[in-house]
This record gives sequence, C-alpha cells and structure tokens, in this order.
Amino acid sequence: MSPLLTLAAVAVFAPAAAALLLVLVPPLRKQGMPAAIVTLLGSVAAVVSAGRILLDRLGAGHAAESIVTPWIIVANKPLAELGLLVDGTSATMLFVVCLVALMVQVFSLSYMSEEPPAAYGRYFALHALFLFSMNVLVVAPNLLQAFAGWELVGLASYLLIGFYFHKPSAAKAAVKAFWMTKLADMGFLFGLLWLFVQADTFRWDVPVSHELANVVALMLFIAVVGKSAQFPLHIWLPDAMEGPTPVSALLHAATMVAAGVFLVVRADPLFALAPFARDVMLWVGAITASFAALLALVQTDIKKVLAYSTASQLGYMVTALGAGNAFAGFFHLGTHAFFKALLFLAAGSVIHAVHSNELADMGGLRKKMPLTATAFTIGALSLAGFPGFAGFFSKDLVLHSVEGKGGWIPWVLLMASAFLTAFYMGRVLIKAFLGAESSKAHHAHESGPAMAAPLVILAVPALGSGFLGAWLASSTGHEYELHFASMTPITATVLGLAGLGASWVVFGSGGTAPFADVIARLDRESWVDRSWELGYRRVMLGAAAVLGWFDRYIVDGVMNLFGWAAIEGGQKARTLQTGLVRDYAWALVAGAAVLALVGGLK
Amino acid sequence: MSSLSQFVLLAGVLFSIGLYGLMTRTHAIAMLLSIELMANAANVLFVVFAKAFGGAGQIFVLFALAITVAEVAVGLALVMLLYRRYDDTLLDLANEARE
Repeated sequence: MSPLLTLAAVAVFAPAAAALLLVLVPPLRKQGMPAAIVTLLGSVAAVVSAGRILLDRLGAGHAAESIVTPWIIVANKPLAELGLLVDGTSATMLFVVCLVALMVQVFSLSYMSEEPPAAYGRYFALHALFLFSMNVLVVAPNLLQAFAGWELVGLASYLLIGFYFHKPSAAKAAVKAFWMTKLADMGFLFGLLWLFVQADTFRWDVPVSHELANVVALMLFIAVVGKSAQFPLHIWLPDAMEGPTPVSALLHAATMVAAGVFLVVRADPLFALAPFARDVMLWVGAITASFAALLALVQTDIKKVLAYSTASQLGYMVTALGAGNAFAGFFHLGTHAFFKALLFLAAGSVIHAVHSNELADMGGLRKKMPLTATAFTIGALSLAGFPGFAGFFSKDLVLHSVEGKGGWIPWVLLMASAFLTAFYMGRVLIKAFLGAESSKAHHAHESGPAMAAPLVILAVPALGSGFLGAWLASSTGHEYELHFASMTPITATVLGLAGLGASWVVFGSGGTAPFADVIARLDRESWVDRSWELGYRRVMLGAAAVLGWFDRYIVDGVMNLFGWAAIEGGQKARTLQTGLVRDYAWALVAGAAVLALVGGLK
Repeated sequence: MSSLSQFVLLAGVLFSIGLYGLMTRTHAIAMLLSIELMANAANVLFVVFAKAFGGAGQIFVLFALAITVAEVAVGLALVMLLYRRYDDTLLDLANEARE
C-alpha cells in the first residue's frame, strides 16, 4: 500500500476508531468531555491525512490510486469490492469534509456545553460515526461502497436530527428526514442493482448503452433528489433544522446533503451517456433553486432561511450537473461547503447568544458580536456572489455552464435565484445584525474562543477558495477559464448587487418582502408537504390497509383454515375412542367380517 | 359326512353364542366366559377336522387349552383389579383411557 493510500486509510479509519471506542466503552462516552477529545483526535488525524493527500495531489498529471479487497465472494468470484480510491475529486472532497467536520466539532465543544455529559458524549460519538460514514462514501471505488456510505450518513443524519429526541418536533423531523431520504434511496438501490444485472459491475465508469445509462442515471438521480433536498423531496431539509445548529452546518449544509452532488460528479461517465437524465436534472435543479430561494425570503427562523438557501444552492449544483458540467457543480459544492458552514456556525453563535432562532429576537447584534457579524457577512456576501468572494467564482461557472441549455429558461431561473439569494441574505443581515436591538439581543455577548476560532478559520476559504478554481480543475482533469467579460457574470453580479440594494431599501426601513403573504402561504400551506402527507396517509396507508387485509384474511385465513380443520377433525375423531371394550369388540368383529368378505370375493 | 357337518354347525353355534355374549354382556366375568366359548368353538373344529382328514390338529387343542388357562388367569387377575378399583366388575366403568 502506497503512503498516499495509507493516509487515506487513516482519514477513513481514525474517525471509525473513535466512534467504535465510544460505542464500546460507555463510561468513556458518558463522561462527556473525554468523548469529545476522542472524537476530535480522530478528526484531527483525518484532517491532517486529508491535507497531506491534497498537497500530494496538487496540480495535474496524477493518476488515480486505489486499493481494493474482494467482497461478497460467491463461487470464487467476488461480486463487489471494498477499498479506497484517491484521485483529484476524492482528495478535494475528503479535505473539505474533514476540515468542515473538525471546525464544526470544535465549535460544538462550546455550543453543546450546556448538555448533560451523557448527551454531550453521545453527540460526539455520532459525529465520529458521521465522519467515518462520509469518508467511506467519498473514497468509494465503486457504487456499492458508495451506497453503504450513503446509507450510513443517512443513519447519522437521522440520529443527529433527533438528538433532542425528548422534543416531539425533533423526533418527528428525524423520522421525516429518514422516511423521505430512504424513499429516495430506493432509487439508488434499484439503480445499482439494475446496473449490476445488466452490466455485471458496480464500477463508476462502465461503458453501457444509452438506454441502460438513462435508466440507471434516472434511478440514481431519485436518490440525489432525496439526499440533496431537491424539489419535490426538499421538504425534509427545513424540518431537519430541529437538530443542533452545528449538525445543520455539517450535515445539512456542507457535506451530507452535498453527497448527492458528489455522487453525480463521481458517476459522471455514466451520466454523460444519459442525456435524458441530464435534462431532468437541469430542470429539477433550476426549479429547486428558484422555488427554495423564494421560500427562504419569508422564513422567520434564521436556520430555516439557511436551510432553504441550502436547497436552493444545491439546486444550482444539480443544474450545473444537468447541463453537463460536473466540474462547475463540484466547484460550487466546495465553496458552498465553506461559506454555508460558516453561515450556519455564525447563526449558531447568534442563537447561542440570544437563545432563540427567531430573527425577530435578534437585531443590532453588530455591536454586541462584531466577530460573528463579520463572519456572517463574509458568508452572506460569498453566498450572494459578491465579486471576489468564493461564491462569486463558482456561481458564475454554474451559470456559465447553463447558458443556452433548455431554451435559456433554467438560466433565467438561476439568474432570478441569484437576485433572490442576495435579497434574502440582505434581509437576514439587516434583521439580525443591524437595526434596533430586541430585548433578547440586549444581553447578547460574543461567543468564546472555541466558537470564534472555527468562524475565523472557515472565513478564510469562504473568502478565498474561489481563487482555487483553476488548480481544482487541473487536479480533477477539467478545463477551467474565467469569463469575466461576458454577459453571464456581469448580469449575475448586477443582479446580486441589486438584490443587496433592494434588501437595504425594503428591509432597512423595517418593511416586509413584496408578496410576503402569498409566499408565506405557499410555504405554510405548502402543497408539496401536503401532497406528500396525503400520498402517505391516503395512498400508502390505504394500500397498506388493503394489503394488510389481504394478508390477515386471505393468506392467514388459508393457513388458519388448515389449523381449524385439523383441530375440528381431531375433535371428531377422538369421539371414536369410547373406552368401552364392547365397542372395540364390535370393531374387531366388523373388521373380521370385512376381511372375510374381501377374502370370499377374491 | 352328516356327523362332520353337525360338528361344524356345533362349532359355529358355540362361536356365535360366545360372540353374542361378548358384545352384549357388561360384566367382565361373563365376557371372559364368552371368549372361552369362542375359543372352544375353534378347539372343536380342530378335533373334528383332525378326525375327519387326519393331521396333527388335536395337538393344537392341547396347546390352546394351556394358553386359555393362562389367559383366564390373567383375565381373572384383571377382574380382581377392576373390582378393587370400582367395587364392581362392570367393564364399562374402566373407560378413562378415552380422554
């Protein structure tokens, strides 16, 4: 095993060891702080390894390295393989995931400090489990291992959303997230099984016919819609905000929800053969981007604004993937991971200070929490695509890749979303950090160093990671050039600045968004939510009731009939045994008579 | 010839009386007696056929008598037990085994 793969193994198994240790040694977990230290040690090892791998992968011309071991051996032939695959894509993703995870964990040290020790330990054990699962997914050399990691992160997501399981709303949100994503994951399962049946492989890059590629790609995309919160399966993401804020930053903004995008980037050779699947992605992504951006405008909960914003930005990535530019999607994934994690952690810092998620309880925090306000502003400007910030570069690349696709409609939708993004981020900035202080904000104060340090560290890539585009492109073997002078970036920049300006005009004077009532009704009485609930209650439970009736009365009925017949037959038969010698004598005589008759007839 | 058919008829009558007794009587001793009658019908036939056609049939009668004696000894012992248990020799009383 080469040194590079050893490092990759460390990145995967250090968090696994931490998780295993905390699961197997309950006293350690229940102590709280020692558990956090174990998890942090695992994450630090993972970050250092991932960073070393990334440095090694700098620039172009590195062949992918992999090591695999046979798995599921049937008749001396392995059906699948487990292992590590390190190339430009997985090296970058691994580093992004590990770095954000470590930052979030450091942030959590202080953010979760009011939890009882047992819950504190459980929280960090789950974080270690998540980092292991995510890394398994990132270094997967084939679809099957990716599926295993995919389901494991889903489990970690469920456990962490439901971390405050004593709160009914959190428990419900966890079940909802699990239910929606598992429903979508069926697409992944059937897709990879169908690929295996038809092409006899789980590999990422298998040459297949267009028909097969379209079918498999569409099935995989169903899973992506679920995991990456695309329309119409996006509804679980806002509810997932019931989890602790650092969890939202790591799982539901930066890494886990981006796994869907990563999957498509990985399976790009397959999707390249599936033009129809790409068209579907183009439209679903564009609709999600604009729809979620619209809903983000009227949220009163700061985390829900960011949640809808995440769905919207994931929509950008999916649109880019649909437009056939996997690199644009991947680049935006990377920058988004940094600035969205930064936004969530800054929001967490605010929530920690004012003990409320509601924007109405904030306001004027700029003076009380200057560092948090600065960090949040950097994240918001990056998200809004302010020139020079990370989001500017990757969003432009996305928009550029969509040019002319689908009759320009997706492009227009994304442009509108760019305006809306700046508009709603301006709204949050103004409501939370400017303006008059609310009563709760009055007692707020800046968070401690454990929460401030991650904000500072994440602000660096949120500002600067956009400049790494050319290097990232060469590392992953793609073309990259900037198009500053063309129509798309200029339009996007103008729209972004217009959005910020409009938000200053509208919200600076304490107003509400235009059509806020209509949008709020669209959100509250969300027909998407409603139709899923209706589908669940009426269609699924109805079908379940019918099947249940069939099972209970037809399938069980036949079996019960046999049982009943045996019992009744036995009851009848036992009356033959009277216990009276005379009757047995009769039977004897009758038998002899019959035998005599039979013998006589012969 | 006529004497042979008369003896066979005698055996048939004996057997029938025994069978009738076995199936109608309820007292254990009466039923044992009926069984003896049936066995003796067979013995009569052994003797008659041996006399008429030759062969070793009469030996079997001696064996059968010996076995019948043993059987009666066992049967009477059972009757004793029956009486001790139920204070009667009605065989119908001993019907617990049907459950």
